[in-house]
Order: sequence, then C-alpha cells, then structure tokens
Amino acid sequence: MTDTPTPALRVDPGGRIGVSMTVNGTAISTDVEVRRTLADVLRDDLDLTGTHVGCEHGVCGACTVAVDGQPVRACLLLAVQVDGTEITTIEGLANPDGSLGPLQQAFHDAHGFQCAFCAPGVLITTASLLETNPTPTRDEIKAELSGNLCRCTGYHSIIESVETAVRLTAAGAKSTDGGDEEASNA
Amino acid sequence: MRESLAGSFVGTSVKRVEDERLLTGAGSYIGDLKVEGMAHAAFLRSPYAHATIERINAAAAQRLPGVIDIITGEEMQAITNPFVPLGMIDGLYTPLFWPLAIDRVRMVGDPIAIVIAESRYIAEDAIQLIEVDYEPLPTVANMAEATRAGAEQIWPRADGNVMFRTEADYGDVDAVFASADRVISETFESHRHSNQPMETRGSLAEVTPDEVIFHSAAQNSHGLRWVLAMATSSEPVLDSVKELAGPGRDKLKAFGAGAKAFITERKDDLGDADNKGFIHQVRHDPTTLKHLGKVFMNVLAQDERRRPRVVADDIGGAFGVKGHPGREDAALLAAALKLNRSIKWIEDRNEHLTVGGMAREETLSVQVAVNDDGELLGLKVDMTMDQGAYPAVPFGAATFAGIMRVMMPGTYRFKAYSMKAAAIASNKAKYVAYRGPWANETWVRERMLDVVARELGLSPTELRLRNMYGVDELPTKMLTGPTLDVRMSAKATLEKAIEVAGIDDFRAAQAKARENGHLLGIGFSTYHEGAPGPPDYADAILPGSGAMMAEPLTTVLEADGTVSVITAQMPHGQSHETTLAQVAADQLGVAMDQVRVIFGDTAKTDFSLLGTGGSRGGPMGGGATLFAARGLRDRILDEAADMLEANRGDLEITDGAIHVAGVPSISKSFAEVAEVVRTRPGSTEPLTGSVEYDGGPGGWVQATHVAFVDIDIETGFVTIPRYVVVEDCGELINPAIVEGQVRGGVAQGVGAVFYEKSAYDDDANFQAGTFMDYLIPTAMEIPDIEIHHLETPSDIEANFRGVGEGGMIGSPAALTNAVEDALAHLGVRITEQHLPPTRILELAGVIAPA
Repeated sequence: MTDTPTPALRVDPGGRIGVSMTVNGTAISTDVEVRRTLADVLRDDLDLTGTHVGCEHGVCGACTVAVDGQPVRACLLLAVQVDGTEITTIEGLANPDGSLGPLQQAFHDAHGFQCAFCAPGVLITTASLLETNPTPTRDEIKAELSGNLCRCTGYHSIIESVETAVRLTAAGAKSTDGGDEEASNA
Repeated sequence: MRESLAGSFVGTSVKRVEDERLLTGAGSYIGDLKVEGMAHAAFLRSPYAHATIERINAAAAQRLPGVIDIITGEEMQAITNPFVPLGMIDGLYTPLFWPLAIDRVRMVGDPIAIVIAESRYIAEDAIQLIEVDYEPLPTVANMAEATRAGAEQIWPRADGNVMFRTEADYGDVDAVFASADRVISETFESHRHSNQPMETRGSLAEVTPDEVIFHSAAQNSHGLRWVLAMATSSEPVLDSVKELAGPGRDKLKAFGAGAKAFITERKDDLGDADNKGFIHQVRHDPTTLKHLGKVFMNVLAQDERRRPRVVADDIGGAFGVKGHPGREDAALLAAALKLNRSIKWIEDRNEHLTVGGMAREETLSVQVAVNDDGELLGLKVDMTMDQGAYPAVPFGAATFAGIMRVMMPGTYRFKAYSMKAAAIASNKAKYVAYRGPWANETWVRERMLDVVARELGLSPTELRLRNMYGVDELPTKMLTGPTLDVRMSAKATLEKAIEVAGIDDFRAAQAKARENGHLLGIGFSTYHEGAPGPPDYADAILPGSGAMMAEPLTTVLEADGTVSVITAQMPHGQSHETTLAQVAADQLGVAMDQVRVIFGDTAKTDFSLLGTGGSRGGPMGGGATLFAARGLRDRILDEAADMLEANRGDLEITDGAIHVAGVPSISKSFAEVAEVVRTRPGSTEPLTGSVEYDGGPGGWVQATHVAFVDIDIETGFVTIPRYVVVEDCGELINPAIVEGQVRGGVAQGVGAVFYEKSAYDDDANFQAGTFMDYLIPTAMEIPDIEIHHLETPSDIEANFRGVGEGGMIGSPAALTNAVEDALAHLGVRITEQHLPPTRILELAGVIAPA
C-alpha cells in the first residue's frame, strides 16, 4: 500500500508580496512570502516573540493580536492580509520605557499567570474587551476570555486580574477627576 | 508589599519576579530562540497504527530547494544507540528502540524520517513529498485486545503484550477477607488523557566549535543531557576502549572513583536495592547487555565537545510531559551532530496531541472487605495499565505502579492489602507522567469508598471518618511502610471540609431541586501525598531509591553583593524565581531584588535526577534554599566579624547591612564583604553555601476536596456551582502561588472528568488530533474554587510540603462521587472516570447506550 503524496504546493515558495503595517506604533514595510502567517512574520521576521503559537489551528488563542483594535488569531491570518492595518501585540502594551503597562501591572498585582505562555493572547483579548466595555461583569469577562485557553491557572487569577485592571482604571479615572482613592490589591 | 525591602517574605503573597519579562513578551521560550545558521526540522510520521515499512523514497523531497538532509530509520540506527533501560524494576521488560522507527511502525505518529531544511515551511513541504510503502499489520487498540489469545504481538521479546507484572501482599489478606461480614467488589476504568501544556515540546541543538548546546523545554536538564549523551554517543567501540585505556586511563579512573564514592556514601540505603530488575530485563533481551556496555563505554570516551550541555529557559507549562526526553530530541541532536549545524524543532499541536504523551489509561478491579458497621478491614486491587507502544524514557508506567501500590490504602486503617499490577503494550502513544502520575490510587479508593458507603447505608463522610487515622493515633505506619507522622492531618482536612460544605443544607436543596427536575450532587475525596514524603517513603516504592532523591543547591555571594541561588529545580510555571528568592532573602536578611535564582543550565547547576516534578519544588527546592542560604549567611557573618572586629555572635543583618546588634550605624554591606573576599591574596573564590538536602523529616501534604455538581438532565451538561479544597501543605511560602497551583490542578481534573479524552478507534487510529476534538476547559467551565488552608503546628524547619499535583489528585474522585450522588436515586453507579454529556445521559437512562 502506498501513501500517495499530496501534489506539491502551487505557491511559489519564493513568491513575495510587499506588506505595510503599523506594529505597536511603528510603521513597517516588508516583503513576505505569500503563505507566511502573521504569527510567523511577527515572531520570526520582526522578532516580536511575545506573541506565542500554541495550536496553529485557531483554538487556543495564544497568538491573539489586535488588528485595528479587533482581537484576531495571528496563526490563521496570512501576513499579506493585514496590509494597511494597525497591529498591537503584547509588547505594545508595555510602557514606552519597557516597564509594565497598566494592564500588565494588573496581572502582576493579581498573580494572573503561571507559565504565561497564554499571556499574549489573554492580555490582547482583555485590552480589546476593556476598550469597548470598560466595566465588564465577571460573566462577561469569562465569556470574552473563553477563546483563550490557559492550562495552568484554572482561570481564577486571570479573571481576578481583569477585575483588578477594571478597578485600577476606574481609580485612575477618579484621581484624574481629582479623587484620591487608591486602588489596592492583596 | 514592599518587595525591595528585606523582611519576612515567606508566608506572604510576594508578587512574581518572573512577571517583568513574561508579561511584556520578553520571555525566552524555546520557540523564541534563534542562533546563527539555524536550520529547521520536521518529522514524517506514520499514518498507520501498526505496519511494516516496505520502502521509503525520499528522492523527490531531497531535491526540493532548501532541503538540507533527510534521515530515515536505517541511517538513524547507524548513528545513534537505542534507548537503554535505566529504571529496571523486577517484572519489567523494556524493549529497545531507536529515535526513529526502522522497519516497523507501532503507533499513529511514529516518527519515520527527520527532514532538515532552511525553513520549517520547506521542511513541511518535503514531508509531503516522501513516499512510504506500508504493509498494515493487525492492531492492538486496547487492553482487552492486547491480552486476548493470539493477539498481535507488538514487541517480539515480550510475554505476549504484557510488559510488566508485579504483586505485593501486606498483612494476612486471606484471613482478613475471610473474617469480614462482606466483600464488596467493583471495577473502575480511567481513560487516556494528556497534559497538553499550552506550549508544545521543542528543542534547538546548537552546534558551535567549542560545544553543543541543547536548548530544550525540559523539566529536567540533567536527565535529558545524559539520555541524549547515551543516545548519540557513537564512537566505534574499539576507539572507545582505546580512549579509556589510553594514557593514564584518567577517564576510566575518574568514573570508577565517582561510582565508588557514590556507592560508599549511600551504602546503607543502596543495600536494600536488588538486581532482579536487571536480571529480568537481560533474560528477555540479552542484547541489552551489549547495548548497555557500548553506550556506557561510548559516553565515557565521548568527546566532551560532542556531549550536549542542556539549557532550559522559560517553559510554557509541562505537567510531567517535559520530564521525558523525546525520541525527537535524540533524532534532532544526532542530525545536528551529523550535519555539524544548529537545528531547531518545535512540535506542532497535532503532533503533541498525537504522540507528545498520554496518561492514566488504567483498569482497576477493587475488592473491599468490610464489616456491616462500616469497619474497613481489607483491600485487594488488580490493576492493568495501557502503556502504549514505546515506553517513556527514562521511566514510565511501572514506576508509577509502584507509587500507586504504596499509596492505595490512603490514610485508612486497613488490616490487610494486596495489589497486583500489569502494564501492557498497545499501538498507542506512550504513557507519561501527568500531574500526580499515581493519582488513580486516590480516584479508585475514594470512588470505592462511596460505593461501599452506599451498600452499607452509611454516608460517605461517616464511613471515611470512622476509618481514617486520627491525630491521636499518630505517629503510625501505613500498611505499605511509610510513616504517618504527627503532622499527617488528612482527617482534620475532612472534618473541616464537612464543616464548610454544609451537608444538611445541601441535602435539603438537593431534594427540592429534584422536584424541579434538577439533579444536584455532592462528592468528597481525601488524599495524602508524599511531597516529599517521610524519610522512609521512597524506599517503600523502590528499595534503594531514597538515596538518589536528594536536592542539590548552591547559594553564591556575587561580586556585586547580590546572591545567586543556583538550583537543579526547573521552573515551568511554578514561580521558583519568586519563592526560592523569598526563602533565601529571609535567611540572609536582604531584599528580594538582591537575590537571583539561576536554573536550567547543566553547566551551572548541580546534577539532579529529577529536576522539577513530584511536587518537590516547595519542599525540596525551598528546604535546600533555606539551608544553603543559612550556610552562606554564616560565612558572610564570619567575614564581616573580622571586618568589623566584632564578635560573630553579636552580628545581625538588617536590610542587607551587617552590623553589631543595636549599632546599625557601623555596618558592612554584602558588596563590601564580597570585595574583601574577591581581593584577598591567594583566593578569589566567592563565598558559597551548598547543600545536598535530603528533605529532613519530610512529611505529607493532604487535602479534602468537595465538589458540588448540577446536572442538566436534558443535555447531560454538568456545571459545578461550588468547589471546596481544604488542604494542609505545612508552611506556605507564597499563598497566592500555592492557591494558583491548587486551582490549576483542580481545573485539569475538571477537564479530565468532563471534557478531555485522547480517543482512539477500534483500529488504534487516533481521533483527537486538534483542540476541537480534545477539549480543554475554558473560563466558562472552570468553577470558582474555594480554598481553606490548615497548618498543623510544628517546630520543624523548612516545614514546606508540595502543592503542584494535589489539585489533580483530589478532583477526579470528588467530581465523579458528586455525579454519582446526583444520579444515585436512579440506581446509577459510576465506574468510569470520563463523564461527557452523552455518557451522563446514558447513565441516567435518557438515551440508550451506544
């Protein structure tokens, strides 16, 4: 019995197309192989290895990045599809000096992750959620994060971290208004 | 929390040191690594569960631009050694096998060829172009088939498909059973499921002119290093002999001296070991001797530049599976050595689901001898494990059977106990360690206790309370040997769990809900775990093994006055960089940011057989840190006493400043001490504190889990409105980290019971190769988990017990007991661990069994 090989791919492996995008605020123009995924281009060509590849079939969510503010699976998207878009990855959530950004700080304060392999996707999904719904309920948080698998935490600390971020944001808004309430977390 | 200031860090939820890099995307996971000139590997794998390989034609693939090399089984056999059995146990036969399949495939996913190419994309293209002719063979898909007369034999030298057999009796089993009012029997089945960390396996063999560095997501760098050295050392035997017998015979002498010292130091402990396992192995396969001799001689003679230095860095979870060196790792290293080129391999999810490793496929027949008043008398267990085709390296099912044998009676007063166990081979993926690899002792015992209670008309908690060792009976010994010391508090966790569960209120709610067509259930389970266990624990499992369980650790005062904690522990989510720093900082009186934890690199860390596993990080890593840091503190104070011209006994350390008690204004810093040591004529060695920590008095971690379930009888869907864990792990180093470990373990138990199954069909074709088939629970499915900590007071130092595995040990029993409680009025008895909605509906009689 012979296992018939599938026909060779029709895509010319050398075939490249120019792509322009803004990644974490930096304008980038690059030639990419047509068949390369956005995840591979971010990780291998742009050295943004904070975005992780966990399943390569769109279920685990570790590779989630924001494309024009929408969370998408970078493993299911070809890089050529994001021409002209604005992309945010986990690296883009840090402060300009590289220190923890507000959302990252909340996950630090609430012991959000363990191995943190899922962190890039969870953080980007959360950032996108809070953009559209700054005060989600616990159930809304769970529903929104149901597309991001975490194998370490049982999700409790992740949900607490999102709630911490909501509280910190609210406290921050208040203090900007002249309030002095300090957000605290155990 | 002011982590920059010294104080008492142990016991507080210090925020994680790891987060600064991991939360900003600056971690260094194996997939992130790039080195100069790196090529990429992919594996061609068998689509058949069992077949002979008749012909492989890789010519077209070889011609594809960008393909560097393709190595198939025959060539791989010539450049590697078989995996020689290292954990030889009486009754166990371990077949010899190579990194790639040679003339026969034994499971779906069996690696047949490694393709090395300029990119992963091209390597995958080339895989598609390799033609293989297979001749399918009859398959062995399950335990019943494996042991059927005339079954296809997977390994020619085995006894049929039985790879391991063992049997042990404790007490007068026949007499105890004869004396009992009744004997209650049941058979339980647990299903194949798997670890599935979010990061798959992966490695990068980096070849440099000076050394070969094997970067890998490995839970145990040293174990991987030596397995790889043995698999790839292939100098011709004659050269090896010449090399060993060469000028001065230094290598041979050094090895001999090392072995002699090891044996002499551990003479008393090793005295209990026997060589029955070795004899059993060689009787089945005399070529084992030849290969063992060749491998060890080659490793001794091996050019050290070709012996890999293993480096592990950030790891995206493992739960046991990354403690087993992979055949792929050996193939990758062999290819890199052959081509003299760095090569990276990152497993994809389909590969990880198919061949990464699976666990817990076991059938256990249990008999309990009991009096009508509920007094437990005797226990008999007959277990069969399905270890798949290739045994895990360096140890697998048989080792875990030993732990199950010891732990099966739990903390109950059985008078006699017997256990038989067998492991069979099938055409499925390897059986690996998964978070509490022996956990089915708890599942089966605690499940069976509910069955017994129901038959006797007692409540499950009443039966447990009546038979569990109370604190007034301690210390005592388990029937199987290990000591239950005065801190063994399993019963206290049960009592507390009963108190917080509110059983009466629940029963009222249950009755009321039933009127409305809702089925509620409650389930308890209690366990104790040897993490690290008492001093007599390891030897009860495998005589002589206790001597090898020590935890090495070194603390160093660096030139800049910071302290390095160099550990053989290999963190992969457990936050050792935080917890070990907490322990060290407290001992040394410095701030957390003065301490750095170093791990993962075999060139820097001391040799350990285990790395991180067995919930040893807290008790062994934490304990070793405590005593090593104290040793360093002593040496620092000795130096400072000279510098300050003070009495050593009058000194104290406040926030990193060493001064005479009450005179903080005149002090020396750690950096000043380091400077004096560094510039001292004749000696530039930094101050260190080192230990080989044996665990001290050790002890048990124990817990009771209470699961509450709500079954929708229309859909079979089970929700978990409440879940309670009452645990005693001794002193908590970092409560938030402990609770994260507990919750994560429970979540995996929820997955195992209601969602996850590594399913095969009747021809051993794998059915769950994506995350749409293999269901990992999401934030929607995992309940809020309520945790109550107990701590038995003790003046023992480093009174830390491990919590990595417990969540998953306790949860399957609590959950399945709760489901039975919900369905009991329908006459349902739960005998399987996997309860997806369809099975719930079948059991409840809503739909006909498939």
